[in-house]
Amino acid sequence: MHTALEFLTRIGGGALGWLKAWGRLLTFGARALVETFTPAVYNSATRSVVLKQIYFTAWQILPGFLLFAALLSYVVIQIVVTTARDFGLSEFALEVSVRVVVLETLPLLTVLFVALRSGAAINTEVALMNINNEIRALEDVGVDPMRFEFTPRVIGGAISVFALTLLSCILALILAYIAVYGVQSWNVGDFSRVIAKVFTPVAFLTLSVKSLLFGLAVTVIPIRAGLEAPRMLFFAPIAVLRGMVRLFFVIMFIEVASLALIYM
Amino acid sequence: MERAPVRAPLIKNLELKVGLLLATTGVLALAFIAYVLYARGAFQPTQDLILLADNAEGVSIGMPLTFSGFPIGQVKRLDLTADGKVRIHIAVPERDARWLRTSSRFTLEKGLVGGARIRAFSAEMSDPPLPDGAQRELITGDASEDIPVIMARVKAILANVEAMTAADSSINRALAHVDTVTGRMAGDYGVLEGVLGGPDKARKVVEALDRANTLLASLNGVSLRVDQTLARADQRVFGSGGVMDQTDRALAQVNAILSEVRESLKKADAILLAAQGAADNVHAITADVKGATTDLAILRVEVDDSIRKVNHLINEINRKWPFRRDVELKLP
Amino acid sequence: MIWLNDSAEREAMIESLPAAALVSVELPLRANLSVLENIAIVPQYRQNLPFEVAADQAWALLARLNQTDCAFKRDPSLNCVERFVAKLLRAVILRPPIILIDRPAILLPDVCYPPFLASALQVLEGEYEDCRILDYVWNAPLYAPR
Repeated sequence: MHTALEFLTRIGGGALGWLKAWGRLLTFGARALVETFTPAVYNSATRSVVLKQIYFTAWQILPGFLLFAALLSYVVIQIVVTTARDFGLSEFALEVSVRVVVLETLPLLTVLFVALRSGAAINTEVALMNINNEIRALEDVGVDPMRFEFTPRVIGGAISVFALTLLSCILALILAYIAVYGVQSWNVGDFSRVIAKVFTPVAFLTLSVKSLLFGLAVTVIPIRAGLEAPRMLFFAPIAVLRGMVRLFFVIMFIEVASLALIYM
Repeated sequence: MERAPVRAPLIKNLELKVGLLLATTGVLALAFIAYVLYARGAFQPTQDLILLADNAEGVSIGMPLTFSGFPIGQVKRLDLTADGKVRIHIAVPERDARWLRTSSRFTLEKGLVGGARIRAFSAEMSDPPLPDGAQRELITGDASEDIPVIMARVKAILANVEAMTAADSSINRALAHVDTVTGRMAGDYGVLEGVLGGPDKARKVVEALDRANTLLASLNGVSLRVDQTLARADQRVFGSGGVMDQTDRALAQVNAILSEVRESLKKADAILLAAQGAADNVHAITADVKGATTDLAILRVEVDDSIRKVNHLINEINRKWPFRRDVELKLP
Repeated sequence: MIWLNDSAEREAMIESLPAAALVSVELPLRANLSVLENIAIVPQYRQNLPFEVAADQAWALLARLNQTDCAFKRDPSLNCVERFVAKLLRAVILRPPIILIDRPAILLPDVCYPPFLASALQVLEGEYEDCRILDYVWNAPLYAPR
């Protein structure tokens, strides 16, 4: 009886802790979002952090990422177009490939890329800041770490993910046109018709919101995970691990939710 | 106050690079939104076309209306009328509206594979253009709906075939007539009777042939007698001797006889020609009746045979004629 | 000078002066910023000064203490004097009502800190309102009588 009670208590405590962690995460995300739209946040110091974040997250990886995205998109589009042709469904090839590549693959690919690179870096940095007490030190000299360190990163991360997604998607659309029609401009009308069919207001909104949520998740979750780490150095790897796993699940959840929203 | 030294920053042109990235992103985002709006026809004046259908299954918002395979409009809205029909609102850009005339017809086609298609057909391009907000019937056609129709037609065709093969059908009567004709052909005078029209004419041909045969029989007799004569001449030449001087005369007589034989043969030829003429006629008339030629072929073979026999006879006579003899040669 | 007898007393003292800017081993510099940036960040953030102006202010303070050599170094490459100067200036530039220098013995283990502190504070005279040093009583003999 006693052990059963203990077991239940443990389960309840675990669930509660889990819920609290997610609750803190959501609170933190909401606060970051609110601060994003607070003009007072933008001063000389935070602006430079935003710029640096965008530089590290988007500009540095831009050539490599665009090359990779172009290669992947082109291969996927070619596969879809060839397969569709084999089944005599080539009129649907462009639509299907645009849906697969532009609406789904590239946003997900972008956020995974940024998560692996900048997400992990942010998570580590915040965890170390937290463990070293640098956050308290900033507070003590009158610099709000939330406004100086975290919100700018969230803003920079979201902008970076959005920019990378947009650039790679436009590149993919151009490649899709070339893959289907070749290098000529007579079929712009047909292409426009397919684009009009794919980019309905709902699809457009879903893509934008998804991209924005990806951008938020890719910074908010690692920061929060870094802050939650107990202030002991050996907890740094654990904090990164937890943050990255949580980030992965959140990204997948957003993706599945967006799919459900568009196709159900 | 002392100035902080200007030092190469950690990141060169940070502001410029990020500004460039943000500006590019912003411009591309706006351009893309504008392009999508353009593609969706936001900047194009359109006119309405309302199609009434019994069933709008397979019709979806955004579906194109095609004319000659080119999309010229889009389904914008679907609703039900009070009497349960479906109203399909289609927006047609004004520059494409010229393909639609008052006489245009609209069909909804559903293939076995792929989505449905709304197609417009304008047969008479000289008719006045379709006005804005026009209402038209949508004719539905469906590959799977066609199957029962096709089956019904196949059944009708099978029924016809059955009627044709029935005992009292017209085809059977025609076949009975054919049967009569072939029966006549199988009669005494064969195809000749069938093609020449009656037994009398056929008989004449046959009689001519009979006469030719009789003549040949007589010629055979002649050759036999000639043989006998020759045998006797041999006896006389080699037996008692000295008859060689009479040979010239006898030869002259034989020549005369032979010319008479030739006359007879010419007559036979004439008969044969007549027979052949008849055969030619028969051939012309019954070009496609193969059976008819077999009788005539036999006839010709017989005639050829007769001529060959006569030729043979003459050759033999010529061969056995090295001697001048007094021979009596009588023709029948 | 504030003389302490044990760590509890120290903690109570820090608690009682919440408006004070603390210079302490427990409050490190921001690791990914240079000394100059660590100091300049305060006016940059609090007064929204452009980085150049804030950096000039920070540079001027460093120059007063003759420590401009370390301006572009980051925390791990600093010696204890440089690190202490950076922390002190970060507090000074904030212009708080009180600056608390917490246990200078561990902040400046390699120098005879009482005279060093006295001279540094003298140089910075006028840049701060009030400065108190928290130290344990057993270190009192190190401080030369005034």
